[in-house]
Parts: sequence; structure tokens; C-alpha cells
Amino acid sequence: MATPSNTSTESFDSLYRECARDMYAYVRTLLGDDASAEDVTALAFERAYRRRATFDGRRGSERGWLFGIARNAALDELRRRKRSAPLLGELPDEAARAPEEEADLAIRRTTVRVALAALDPRDRELVALKFHGGLSNAELGVVLGTTESNAGTRVHRAVSKLREACHAPS
Amino acid sequence: MRHRDPLTDEQRDELDALDRAIAGEPVQFDRRELEELVLDVRATAPEMSPAFAARLDQEVREGFPTPQERPPVSVRRPWLSRPWMLLPAAGSLAAVLVALVVVFGGTGDNGLRDKSGNQLDTLGGEAAIPTDGGGPDVDSSGSGGASSSAGGVSADRKAAARAPSAASVPPSDPQAKPAPPSSTAIAPARTRRVERNAVLALRTPDADFERTTDAVIATVARFGGVVASSQIGASDAVGGEASFDLRIPTERLDTALAALSKLGHVTERSQSLQDITASFHSAQERLSDARAERRGLLRTLARATTQAQIDSIKAQLRSVSGRIAGANGELSSLRRRADLSRVDLTVRGGGRNGESGGAGGGDWTPGDAAGDALRVLEVLAGVALVSLAVLAPLALLGAAVALGVRGGRRRRRESALDPA
Repeated sequence: MATPSNTSTESFDSLYRECARDMYAYVRTLLGDDASAEDVTALAFERAYRRRATFDGRRGSERGWLFGIARNAALDELRRRKRSAPLLGELPDEAARAPEEEADLAIRRTTVRVALAALDPRDRELVALKFHGGLSNAELGVVLGTTESNAGTRVHRAVSKLREACHAPS
Repeated sequence: MRHRDPLTDEQRDELDALDRAIAGEPVQFDRRELEELVLDVRATAPEMSPAFAARLDQEVREGFPTPQERPPVSVRRPWLSRPWMLLPAAGSLAAVLVALVVVFGGTGDNGLRDKSGNQLDTLGGEAAIPTDGGGPDVDSSGSGGASSSAGGVSADRKAAARAPSAASVPPSDPQAKPAPPSSTAIAPARTRRVERNAVLALRTPDADFERTTDAVIATVARFGGVVASSQIGASDAVGGEASFDLRIPTERLDTALAALSKLGHVTERSQSLQDITASFHSAQERLSDARAERRGLLRTLARATTQAQIDSIKAQLRSVSGRIAGANGELSSLRRRADLSRVDLTVRGGGRNGESGGAGGGDWTPGDAAGDALRVLEVLAGVALVSLAVLAPLALLGAAVALGVRGGRRRRRESALDPA
């Protein structure tokens, strides 16, 4: 295989800067701990870097392709650990980290975290891909291996469950 | 599983508002709750530690210079871990092999092949099978003259002129060697008797048609054979067609066929062999028995004393004589079949000049080249067709396997998201 050109290297660098934090947030949400999230994020970028010559723009965006790689790596890690990751279980308390925020805002975000944690892992992943990854429904379809319409339906269902969980009496 | 799950208009509006909120764009007033949800969820997004961010920045900047223990993807050989990826290549190879066997497999035996590619059955060593040395003992009552068809304008006249009778085949070629005369002696027992037949079809240019049919007759005579019957038709519109029923001395059949094959483009040539040894010896034994019986009856007749005895023995002698005559006739017929091979020869006019054989000249002309090129294209098309016939099912199978493997891998991965 030919050595990647400078142009593709520059393009990858741009993609990295655009997606790195979102990808980490998604992977961290999926795996539930910082160390694994860092390993998987680094592994996903390395895989993407080495496979960047195989990217086919006709099959979707670079962002969707990158998140597909990250998803596979994260799911492989989850399978390896034989457990489903608790969502945000190790996250620092929002209210404690931002004491300057108003109390009702802190309470609301804590409610959101709890609601997220209560979601089914598949729905939680969808929320992470949508909210943290910022993927369009078409990109989601590529990542999940389904159609754009089906991806939209699943996202809508997951968001509806999240909203219900946020409004549920604690 | 992929399936259509149509969204309602309300759901589409909500998804549009969600996308706008995620993109940081303003949303409608009644969707503000959704916008707040996006802000709250994104506010809970985990963030990289500065140390990890710096390390990752550096790795990307340096192009991941220290790959982990596995080799880089660019030099990996994925088929080692995923052998099913070799299925299309293996299918292609198998298809090509099958196509080659189909196209060229028929030429792999030891038989001769004439210039048009027709198989010649040389019959192995059967040509050397001993015969009783009998010559062309042809029954002139059945094949003494040409039986002409009404195929052409002057067919009757030509046929009559060209088809010599079996009894009057003149050696037109001074080098021709008439077959030795037939022997009526009974061959030694257990000598193998074989009847050989051949079919030969020639194509010749219209201009050479008459010359070719003349050459056929001359060639047959040169090898001591006879034309048992012939039908020759000629027409300016469709070209001529002649069929010959030939008898060729078996011992000279191969050389005669070779000579006949040079008279035109061979479009068909085949030979068959039938062992008639059993029939021959059966007839021999019946003849021997009948003769012995007749000798016994003659001896009895010499000792007969009464008229009644004499009459009875004479009646038996007549019966035995009839059996002897029948056995003799059968033996003669079998001997003719063994000594003379039957050749069905067809000559058709209308062939292109380039297809002409010896009668039309042996130069390799542009017509020959065009014919050869066409043949090559036909073979290539055949190979492609056979390859396609083999590859199509393999491709479908490979695609199904690939889809199954891919789907299975995806399901296994996503099973990690199932609650423990």
C-alpha cells in the first residue's frame, strides 16, 4: 500500500482536531472509565490513521467513518471486559465541579445524568453518538449499519425515553 | 436488523429541532425543552484530561510512530485471519480451470486430430488385426451401380458417370494397388474379426465441388475400394452436396481416410469398430457341422438298400445342403464386412475458400486469418460463459457468506451493549 500523502495526513489532522473531544466523550460514556476511554480513543485514532487511505467518501462522511471505528473498538473493549459499562458512574459531581452555577441548573444536570444512567445501554449509546458525537441521522445509519430512517427512529425513541426519565419523579 | 420505521411529521420536527440544537442553531419556542436537554446532556460530556490530550496530539502529529505489537494495517494480510476473503479468488481460479477443461479437455486423448480439429479414432492396434486376406468380395447385386438421387440438374448423369460398379472398378491410378482377391478358405479358428465403419464429411468451395467429387472416386479406386452408391446434387443457389457409400479394404482404411481428408475441409470425421468374431465362428461351426452331417448322410446313402431309405436320405441331404448354403452366405457376408470397411462420405459445396483443404490450395489467406480470429473469439466467449456460470453462484455464495459474517460480527459486538 502506498504511503499516505501529505494531503491525507493534513486532512487527518484536521479530522482529529474536529472530532477528538467528541469521540472521547462518546467512548467515555460507553465505557465508563477514563483509562479505558483513553486507550480506546487512542487506538481508534491510530486505526483510523493507518486505514485512512481506505476511506471511501461515497459511503459516508469522515466523521461517521471515524466514529464507526471508535464504536467497534469500544464494543470490543466492552466484550473483552464482559460487562456493560455503567454510565457516568465515575464522573465527578457536576454541582461540586461548578459551584458557581446556580443550584437549579446543577440539580437539572444531575437529573440528566441519572436519567442517562438509567437508560438501556443501546439507547444510552445512541444518545452519546447523537449528543456528544454530533452525528447526523445519515452518519448514525452508517455507524450503526442501518438506514437513515431507522437511525432517526431509534434516536427519537431514545431521546423520548431520556425525556421521560428526566421528568419521572425521583 | 434493517427495516423501515417511518417517522411521523411530529417526530421529524423533533429530530430537526434536535439537530439544530446540537448544531447550536436557534430552535422554535415550543422546542426549547429539547434545546435545554441538549445543553444539559452536552454539559455532562466527559472531557479528556490535559495530559491525555497532549499525548494524543503528539502521537497524531508524529503519525503514530510506534505501532503496537501488531504489524501496521498496510502490511497485514487480512486473508490469513479471514480466509473467506479468498473465496472470490478461489472461485475465479476454479472457473478458469473448469472453462479450460471444458474447452480444451476434449483434445487431451491420444487420438489424431485433423486440421479442423475433428477427432480421429485410430482404433489403436485394431488396424493390424489379422484378416483372412480376403479382397473386396462385394456383392454386385446390391451395389453394382450408382443409385443417384434427384438432387440436382445433372445428378443422374454425373452419378452414373462417376460411380463405378463394384465389379468394374478400374485402377485409374497406375500406382493403385487393387485389393487382393477374396479367399474362400475358412480362416483359422479364433482369428479376430472386426468390422470398421467411418464417417467423413468434407466442405469445399463451390468452384472446387465437382473436382472434389471426382477426386473422391479416383482416390477410392486408388486404394482398391469401390463406390457402393453415390448421390450427387449440384445447384448454383445452395451449392452442391454429394454423398458416397464407399467400401475400402480394411487394411488400407487409415491411409485412404487420410487421403480423402485432404480433398476438402473436414467438418466431421469419426470411426466405429464392431467385433464380429463370435458371429463369424458361429457360422463357421454351423458350416462345419453341416458338412460333416452331409458326409455322414452320403456314406449312409451308399449303404442304403431300400428305395424308402434312399428317398429319406436324399431329403435330409437337401436340407443339409440348404443349411450349408446359408452358412456359406453368412460367412461370406461377415468376411466382406471384415475385409471391407464402410465409409459414409459427404461432400458439401459452399464453403469459403479459406476453409478449403488440399483441393483448394494450402495457403494461409486473410480469410483463414479471419476464420482463426473468429474461432479464437468463440473460444474466449466460451471460456467467459463457463466462467460466468461458475462464478455467478460462487459470487452469490460469497456475498451471502460475507453478509452473514459481517452481520454476525456486528451482532456479537453489539451484544456487549446488552444488560449483563
